[in-house]
Amino acid sequence: MFDLLFKFHPGEPMLFSSGTFWALFLLFLPAYAWVATRRSRTVMVLFVLIFSFFFYYKSSGAFVVLLAATSVIDWTLSKVIARSSSRAMRRGCVALSLTFSLGVLAYFKYANFFLMNLSAMVGSNFQPLELVLPVGISFYTFQSISYVIDVYKGTIQPTRRWIDYAFFLSFFPALVAGPIVRAKDFLHQIATHRPASRPDLYFGFWLVLLGIVKKAIIADYIAQYNDLIFGNPTGYNAFETLMGIIGYTMQIYCDFSGYSDMAIGLALIMGFRLNENFNFPYKSRNLTDFWRRWHISLSTWLRDYIYIPLGGNRKGTRRTYANNMATMLIGGLWHGAAWKFVFWGGMHGAGLAIHKASKPYLGPWSDTRAFRIFSWLITMTFVACLWVFFRADTWEASWLVIRQVFVGDWPGFAGVQAFASARMLWLIIMILIIIAHALPTGFWPAAGRLFVRAPLWAKLLIFILVVQTVLQLQGEDVAPFIYFQF
Amino acid sequence: MRHYKELWTILALAFAFFFILSYFDGIAIGDSFELRSAGFVRALTDAPRKTAAADTTVLAAASDAPEAKATFAPAPTDTTAQTILFIGDSMLDGLSPRMVDYCLQNGHKLISFRWYSSSTSKWGSPSSSLLSDLIAKHKPSYVFICLGANELFINNVDTKCGPAVDNILADIGSTPYIWIGPPNWKPDTGINDLIARKTRPGTFFLSNGMSFERRKDGAHPTDPSAAMWLDSVMRWMPAHAAQPIRMDSPRKPLPAKAPGQISIRIRQPNE
Repeated sequence: MFDLLFKFHPGEPMLFSSGTFWALFLLFLPAYAWVATRRSRTVMVLFVLIFSFFFYYKSSGAFVVLLAATSVIDWTLSKVIARSSSRAMRRGCVALSLTFSLGVLAYFKYANFFLMNLSAMVGSNFQPLELVLPVGISFYTFQSISYVIDVYKGTIQPTRRWIDYAFFLSFFPALVAGPIVRAKDFLHQIATHRPASRPDLYFGFWLVLLGIVKKAIIADYIAQYNDLIFGNPTGYNAFETLMGIIGYTMQIYCDFSGYSDMAIGLALIMGFRLNENFNFPYKSRNLTDFWRRWHISLSTWLRDYIYIPLGGNRKGTRRTYANNMATMLIGGLWHGAAWKFVFWGGMHGAGLAIHKASKPYLGPWSDTRAFRIFSWLITMTFVACLWVFFRADTWEASWLVIRQVFVGDWPGFAGVQAFASARMLWLIIMILIIIAHALPTGFWPAAGRLFVRAPLWAKLLIFILVVQTVLQLQGEDVAPFIYFQF
Repeated sequence: MRHYKELWTILALAFAFFFILSYFDGIAIGDSFELRSAGFVRALTDAPRKTAAADTTVLAAASDAPEAKATFAPAPTDTTAQTILFIGDSMLDGLSPRMVDYCLQNGHKLISFRWYSSSTSKWGSPSSSLLSDLIAKHKPSYVFICLGANELFINNVDTKCGPAVDNILADIGSTPYIWIGPPNWKPDTGINDLIARKTRPGTFFLSNGMSFERRKDGAHPTDPSAAMWLDSVMRWMPAHAAQPIRMDSPRKPLPAKAPGQISIRIRQPNE
């Protein structure tokens, strides 16, 4: 029991949908409620900080030292930046901080990628380094970079105490898979912290339940079929392969937005508000809109710290496209150290440029219903095809999957019927999630408010039903959060 | 503070509910529906986790397998390329990738068929022709089986599983085979003994007693541990298997995969 709850097990990061996390949260919650309501903010900050570091230790073992070191170095440098009046000194500190943060990220995440490409260029034998990627390093590195740059720009003041900065950097709901929290949105919440109100607490609980449904019921279940398709790209007919691509499109959304919902919900239970990370992205009718709705915390980060500093749209049309492309290429590389991710980012960059360029020519008929449906279809086809590069094991496998849709056998009506009868539950879940996604935007907050007002026994029943459904549908192995790898 | 207490009560009651449910480790409702449990009780009563580094334990256990001491004349190792059919339950998640490596290294053709949550009862059911169909279609020259993990704790194992094991072996017929026993995470109620009794000498690899690094479900070996598990089977084979085949240890870089050499099929629990 002790071993299960308190020791680090390599390859088994803490999932918000796991029994281990909820057993620990059962211990955490009363203690947190007590320190948050009866003790000073400092005690609360210290308590959550210790729990967050423990949470990270459970997920990533000794790399918790790296997290602590990052927080100490960046906090110290940000203090120097704020105090110094010398421009050279301030710039030097920013450079030092970026070198450390990006250096660590580059070493753990990109060293093998770099060496592999170098070996390919010089024709030598590539022997990969045995590197383990610290869980969530891409997320907390981006948080720390934005903090130091914001202090440099004077947008925020550095925290007076290290524990406040470490609290921000290691806040466990958002630590391992985002959302990427920005200091300007979060630090003032520490200083003025109040325990969650009753509606906030239960709305947080609602978001957690919604996240569990998305991640542990929908994404994990539909993944079982999608895995078959991507595991054997030429082994299924065109229709089955197409279903696998659409399935993965919904899987990655449910997986990641489900995790974000759980993170935002847990934070709300603790009395902290994290910004929305997904806003029904598959309702987008163009790529620009898609990137305003998908992984909002990353896209706004890339906009504020890469696109705008590069010049944004202030330096002419050509430069705007170039900046856009550079930003999306970096965004692609952030997702993984492989050329397929770079390609994914590049294609999104190209898609954004095409949309920008074509906007003036669309005219008034772009508001017609037929055009709206057409543009939604084009956008979703583009997005879904590019997700193939995200999911497939290799570059070659990605093309095989896409090719299979076009050159594979198309079954007749009987084949589609056979698919429906063999994959009935998969199909029902897919239809339900598409309907749920297409509902009016106000539906889900309204449902949340209903849940908040529901009696305790109803909340208990819903929670038990959700968890039991997870148990009934779960595969033999629980799929990790897709975004953990980033 | 009061609403925090309420939320805690909800969580604690739900936790208690699932704990009590897991005491029964699955409740059957009707013939075809089972209320699955969270496995808390199993997790608590499990032996402490051990590390995969204990490969020596794996080997010791293997050589201690009762049938390893059986008296038979092991055939010389067949070094020709084989068509291997590898069937089993979710344990193939970990075993199958390593089997692919072995087949690529040794030039064998592999058809791996993983049926999640399957058992000897499912594969050997009189109403299921899956195994005979696979054998008729692929005409394997060697069969590997890994079944039994989903029947470790059932009562009356002889009555419930005996005929099914007979059917599986009948389907395999005279084709050489190895049955890899389930990786027990606690003592079984007799499935290992049953398989050992029903199989021919030199065809059953007893996995019970080995040390595994397990996934967080406490049952399935992690991928590296499963790879070591299959390595142990392959090391055991030349001296102990009735009809050993060439299974040299895979060396990187592996030979390129020939078209159609590897086929992996997966079937979901309720299919």
